[in-house]
Amino acid sequence: MFDHDTLVWVSKSFGLFYLIALSLIVVAYAYWPSNRKTFDRAARAILIDEDKPWE
Amino acid sequence: MIGQLTRNERQGALLILIALAILGLAMAAVGRDDPLGGQGALVMVAALAGLFGVISRYYAPEPGPDRVSRYYDEPSKVGIIIAMGWVVFGLFIGDWVAWLLVDPNLTFHAAWSSFGRIRPVHTTSVIFGFGGNALIATSFYVMQRTSRARLPDQLSPLFVLFGYNLFCVLAVAGYMMGITQSKEYAEPEWYADIWLVVVWITYFVIYLRTLARRKEKHIYVANWYYLAFILVVAVLHIVNNLAVPVSFGHARSYSLFSGVQDAMTEWWYGHNAVAFFLTSGFLGMLYYYLPKVAGRPIFSYRMSIINFWGITFFYMWAGSHHLHYTALPQWVQTLGMTFSLMLLVPSWASAGNALLTLNGAWHKVRDDATLRFMMVAAVFYGLATFEGSFMAIRPVNSLSHYTDWTIGHVHAGALGWVAMITFGSIYASVPWLWKRDGMFSPRLVEVHFWLAVAGTVIYVMAMWNSGIVQGLMWRTYNDSGTLAYSFVDSVVAMHPYYIARAIGGLMFLLGSLVGCYNIWLTIRTAPQVAGRTASEFPDAAPIGAPVLQPGE
Amino acid sequence: MFGLHYRLETKAMGLVLAIIGVSSIGGLVEIAPLFTIHQTVEEAPGMRLYTPLEIAGRNIYMREGCYACHSQMIRTLRDEVERYGPYSLAVESKYDHPMLWGSKRTGPDLARIGGKYSDEWHVRHLNNPRDVVPESIMPAYDFLSRTELRKDDLGEHLAALRKVGVPYTDEMIANASSDAYGQAAPDTPYAEGVVKRYGAATNVASFDGKSGELTEMDALVAYLQIVGRLTDAAYKPVASAE
Ligand code: HEC
Repeated sequence: MFDHDTLVWVSKSFGLFYLIALSLIVVAYAYWPSNRKTFDRAARAILIDEDKPWE
Repeated sequence: MIGQLTRNERQGALLILIALAILGLAMAAVGRDDPLGGQGALVMVAALAGLFGVISRYYAPEPGPDRVSRYYDEPSKVGIIIAMGWVVFGLFIGDWVAWLLVDPNLTFHAAWSSFGRIRPVHTTSVIFGFGGNALIATSFYVMQRTSRARLPDQLSPLFVLFGYNLFCVLAVAGYMMGITQSKEYAEPEWYADIWLVVVWITYFVIYLRTLARRKEKHIYVANWYYLAFILVVAVLHIVNNLAVPVSFGHARSYSLFSGVQDAMTEWWYGHNAVAFFLTSGFLGMLYYYLPKVAGRPIFSYRMSIINFWGITFFYMWAGSHHLHYTALPQWVQTLGMTFSLMLLVPSWASAGNALLTLNGAWHKVRDDATLRFMMVAAVFYGLATFEGSFMAIRPVNSLSHYTDWTIGHVHAGALGWVAMITFGSIYASVPWLWKRDGMFSPRLVEVHFWLAVAGTVIYVMAMWNSGIVQGLMWRTYNDSGTLAYSFVDSVVAMHPYYIARAIGGLMFLLGSLVGCYNIWLTIRTAPQVAGRTASEFPDAAPIGAPVLQPGE
Repeated sequence: MFGLHYRLETKAMGLVLAIIGVSSIGGLVEIAPLFTIHQTVEEAPGMRLYTPLEIAGRNIYMREGCYACHSQMIRTLRDEVERYGPYSLAVESKYDHPMLWGSKRTGPDLARIGGKYSDEWHVRHLNNPRDVVPESIMPAYDFLSRTELRKDDLGEHLAALRKVGVPYTDEMIANASSDAYGQAAPDTPYAEGVVKRYGAATNVASFDGKSGELTEMDALVAYLQIVGRLTDAAYKPVASAE
């Protein structure tokens, strides 16, 4: 189907670009200014009262 | 437990159990000439016991419609108790295995108790029995709290819990009967594997259904880790266990892959079981319980997100470091080594994130052994991940591989990180779940803590020494250019370290027995917290001096 | 209302898909090329197949967890080659479903154990390792000599192996049980059948030293004597596996 050398080539090159692209997306998401509020709130949310489900 | 189910759910439970009993009977019948028959009988007995349990409480009053205003904690409570049972059993077998290497006659001439059969009993009991049940129990707890929503129904979580334990029991009993497909950490045979898939899909569906019902818009990061654990373990499990059974009447199957492909698939699985079972899941635990008990939000929420994707991405490439210098193509080995080194970044960032969260709560760490369990867990997590990356470097691996160093590394992770974070979380959850002021005896938590730490340190030190000595002996040449030691020389040299290791393990076992006793006393005898839920004061009582809380 | 609910669910599903996407790539990139590896790996013309008795022995090796203490993978390191023999090649385990490379050497590597010792040595050693090597910490497997080998279903085992790619013939499958018997019964007509089907190099011997009943000891020793000897590719100069 595919020959070995092609697959190895794809693995070796594509993997690298994929890695770079992915890290950029993740960092952008984590530091996107408008996400800041959500994250801060989420971090604190677990500390507040949680004795029953919200209605 | 059955009292929590609605009438319809009780009927559903009966149907499931009847179907299971029939299935067990069928297995026992077609497999009567094979160990499969014994496993079928076991399934049937388990199903009948379940039926008995449901029927005897069938007419108990149903839970009212107001149940939706409460969280459903029954599965978490039962799960924690079962997890403690598994840890005692698994550690006991583990220590026995350790003594077998000190004196091989301790098998008492039985087949089922020989080293090769009970070693997987140990690994399965502690990883899947203890770790798995703890993950299921805490994930249900955390998912409901962070979603502010109750589990979607009462039956499916219990199905997951008991179904999962049926898998574990089948596995463990099977090894002693001689049933195994010999893939490390994936020893159970095809029928147990299929059963686990059913259970696991149900688990995943519960998770999604609860998330869909959530009242909190953002999905808290702990759930991401739990979710990755559930999802990736499913993928790994299915791919690694692809096999053709000899027949429906045989327990034995032959794996689809052979040779190099099988080796790479096995260690892709094996390493990612470490990643997604023993790391991702337990990081989920850490990201909920540690901030909660410390009473402080996680130091950097953003960092926890970046680490999440880092771990999810990098781990998958690292498996081939288990196969350095073997017949695996070299580029795959190099890839595995590179990614193993990169893994250090998200791993240390996670450990640092946990420790920095404690900044400002160090007095609590000093006074409260529960929080200290979690702190030590984070430290060992950092240590073990550093060591792991180090051992993935090819020249280091040429020395460490095949030796006890690997065993030491695994236990730095398993005892130091996984078990410590779990004990910490369990000590936090028990009072919250059973609505108690705190653990019955903070002193006993303290005792457990020190036994666990001492046991781990002795264990890991012994294995570092033995591993390095072993590795060096195997490659030492004498002046005339021949190998200096025979293999048996290295076996003899291990003896003192094997004794030390078995003692370290024994201490760890004693610690968990103390834990069981304390949990039992907490559930049995500690006073109810009147009118309030314990989660309002997770860090209430400083050691030894319970502070009385005013009623509401 | 429905709109909101729907949006929340897509978010959870998005997370799920992202996790699957991100995590599966690494495995695919590493493992996919291995499935085309036969294009570059050594050839081993004339590689033998495990006989039914050896398959049964291999199953006992797995059942008893020998792999927990013994590796079958000699690495490309000087001291290993000097201690154990030529390093292991990928092709040598191409019929191993699953492979038994192992991960721990509490005992020595066994990749080249076939032919290293006599059958009697193995039987004595397995009955009680300390009779032969006083310092040994290996468990005693004396019960194997007392346990009769189940051989009526060996044909089914070979058939399952054929499904996963091991080239057993119909004749081999049909005669599996008698071949298992014959391999351990040298002077019977059954022995000739084994040799005819599996080649002249097949070890035919009364492995446990007792004629008559076929025991699990026979099977395990038969297996140990074939480990590393299905092909002699490892003893020939080979091109690098890169
Ligand atoms: C507890 C670990 C352990 C287990 C399990 C174990 N062995 Fe061993 N084995 C050893 C040790 C240690 C030695 C070295 C001392 C000796 O020769 O007995 C050894 C040596 C051997 C040798 C001799 C190797 C040589 O080159 O001299 C053979 C063959 C062997 N084992 C086969 C087996 C088989 C077959 C099984 C499973 C039925 C098994 N072993 C299970 C620990 C183990």
